[in-house]
Amino acid sequence: MIISRRHPAAGELRPSSWHSLALAVALVTSGVGCAGHSAHTAEARSALDAGNAAGALESYNKELKVKSGADLPEKMSAKNALYVLDRSMIQQQLAAFELSSRDLEYADKQVEMLDLKRSTLDDIGKYMFSEDTGPYKAPPYEKLLINTMNMVNYLERHQLSGAKVEARRFSILQDYLERSEYVAPSMAAPGAYLAGFIFEKSGDPNLALRYYDEALAYGDFKSLLEPVQRLTAGITPRGENIPAFLNKYGAKAAIAPEAAAAPSASASSAEPAGEGSPPPAPTPDTPAELLVVISYGRVPAKIARRIPIGLALTWGAIYLSPAMNNQAGELAAQGLVTWVNYADLEETKRAYSTPSALIDGAYVTLEAALSVETEARAAYEKQKGQMVAAAITRTVTRFLAGQGARAAAQGATNDSTVGMLVSLGTQLALTAADTPDTRSWSTLPGRLAVARVVLPPGEHKIELAAQGIKRQATIKLAPGGWDVVTLTVLR
Amino acid sequence: MFSTSVGLVRLVPIALVASIGLSSIGCSRPKAVRGEDVEGLDDQAMGTGLDRRDLQKLLHENMTALDTSAVVKRWDKEEMPQLAVLPFKNETSEHIDSALDALISDVETTLINAGHVSVISLENQQSLVAEIKRQQGEAFDQGKAAAYGRQLGVKYIITGKVFTTDEKFDNERRVQYYLFMQVLEVETGQILFQNKAALTKAIL
Repeated sequence: MIISRRHPAAGELRPSSWHSLALAVALVTSGVGCAGHSAHTAEARSALDAGNAAGALESYNKELKVKSGADLPEKMSAKNALYVLDRSMIQQQLAAFELSSRDLEYADKQVEMLDLKRSTLDDIGKYMFSEDTGPYKAPPYEKLLINTMNMVNYLERHQLSGAKVEARRFSILQDYLERSEYVAPSMAAPGAYLAGFIFEKSGDPNLALRYYDEALAYGDFKSLLEPVQRLTAGITPRGENIPAFLNKYGAKAAIAPEAAAAPSASASSAEPAGEGSPPPAPTPDTPAELLVVISYGRVPAKIARRIPIGLALTWGAIYLSPAMNNQAGELAAQGLVTWVNYADLEETKRAYSTPSALIDGAYVTLEAALSVETEARAAYEKQKGQMVAAAITRTVTRFLAGQGARAAAQGATNDSTVGMLVSLGTQLALTAADTPDTRSWSTLPGRLAVARVVLPPGEHKIELAAQGIKRQATIKLAPGGWDVVTLTVLR
Repeated sequence: MFSTSVGLVRLVPIALVASIGLSSIGCSRPKAVRGEDVEGLDDQAMGTGLDRRDLQKLLHENMTALDTSAVVKRWDKEEMPQLAVLPFKNETSEHIDSALDALISDVETTLINAGHVSVISLENQQSLVAEIKRQQGEAFDQGKAAAYGRQLGVKYIITGKVFTTDEKFDNERRVQYYLFMQVLEVETGQILFQNKAALTKAIL
């Protein structure tokens, strides 16, 4: 850089140079303590791992600056929206289903607003300052699971009206995501399964079948055989998956509890109900139905990690311009830039035990509805290259900014020591401001499993277990009635 | 993505200033205000849910249509027949149940003040309201509405539902609300009046 103006005396800083230093100091100080999302949630995640959900709730309340799980934060912000989202699942584990719903609805609105607010400037910021610049953009599986997990909350409370609102929101989001980005059938499977159940119990068989058809796109949920057979009795089965599913399993018996007392699934077959028409009045013997949903484990959290620039280039080079690629390569070869910060997925040592459901002392078969962990890893791998490319760009930017500041300060003061200090200050400031984006819904269950059984009316004892935690419940089913019992264990 | 180091170096000071500016934006503390102290506070939409102004608009449209309908002329011939307003069914993609509860009171108030009917309020019959809402969630039988009317001992009931068409595209979301209102004769189950009012909310 050529400086043609008067050189101040050695050690003398021009006002503009002071400004640069002041900016650097300001950025360093503002960056101090600006730990990423994972650092703030580490305590809560440790508590969950230890089976201490109440402790985890307290930790999130502290972050949100609220007294209890009943309170929402005073200030709406992207950071708080994510904490509330995290807290919602802990409330679900603690069986505070109403508060869990409230938290999910709050977060749902905020996440939607943040998504709509995201601009090109935020994307540029990712390459310039810090990966967590700009509002949080939730990946598709997180967005779909907000409504899915809230359907669980409403079903637990037997509130079909609220559950239907969530099912509708799920559909709108699903349509939107399918238009804008790839949505694997697996991501939508549990939501579609629950939405089908909700509309079936709301007396809308056509809509229920549409959702069951979507759920069957992911896999053969054998627990759907009985309801699909019943809802399609007397009509030609339609849909992309239902006809093949019925052909494959139609002749076999549906899943029922091993207890002999339970009537067979076919016993509940009835004439197809028309849309909106009330179901036939139940007799005292009309069988009832129980849906079990077990959400267990936890998706791997994102953590900040440093890797050598050489390794980073192997992952991110394809997303860099040739000029940036060369520049990064040259700086790496000269040893001027050595490390790159980025957000990685934590390596969990979580051992998954098979969850179990006992009804009146007999085991029922649970079906895997979704491995959220697999979806989280797939979504991460999809983004990884771009994320690392942005991290390389930021690292190179920091180095070049330092060089630029050094030349400017040295030219202004005629003192190489000041130039070096300014360079160091600028690089430190930018390093401090650079936080890998560790934001994610870190309390999302790692796996979902479902069971659906036809039971005789009356009292039944349910015992659910997952990851070493049990829930016991006694339910009373009315003739032709239904109930939903869930267990959430986030470890 | 930036292809040259020169471009990057030029952008850095601008970016530094921008980051400081942006970081200071979030520092203003929220404060509580009264609606009458802030001009236009009630006019601004805060989301895609239904607020007081939306409810008033939907209600006004439906009540205006009702006021000029044949059923009101019929009520005028009968001497203050008894009527109850049942909870409205939420068939939307928004959790607006509390707004719909407020709507019932507004419908009751408008009817009382118009003086055509004698209104039996469900305010003191929360268990019945809960039962109706539960029924509305499950397979709702319109015949049940008339049964509730008989249980309340009224001659007419007003019931309704709100539904939406909801679309999301690029950075926009639009929710179109329709408030559908009906007057039913309890004895026959006959629909004597029905009307639909619409409004749109959006995030642009």
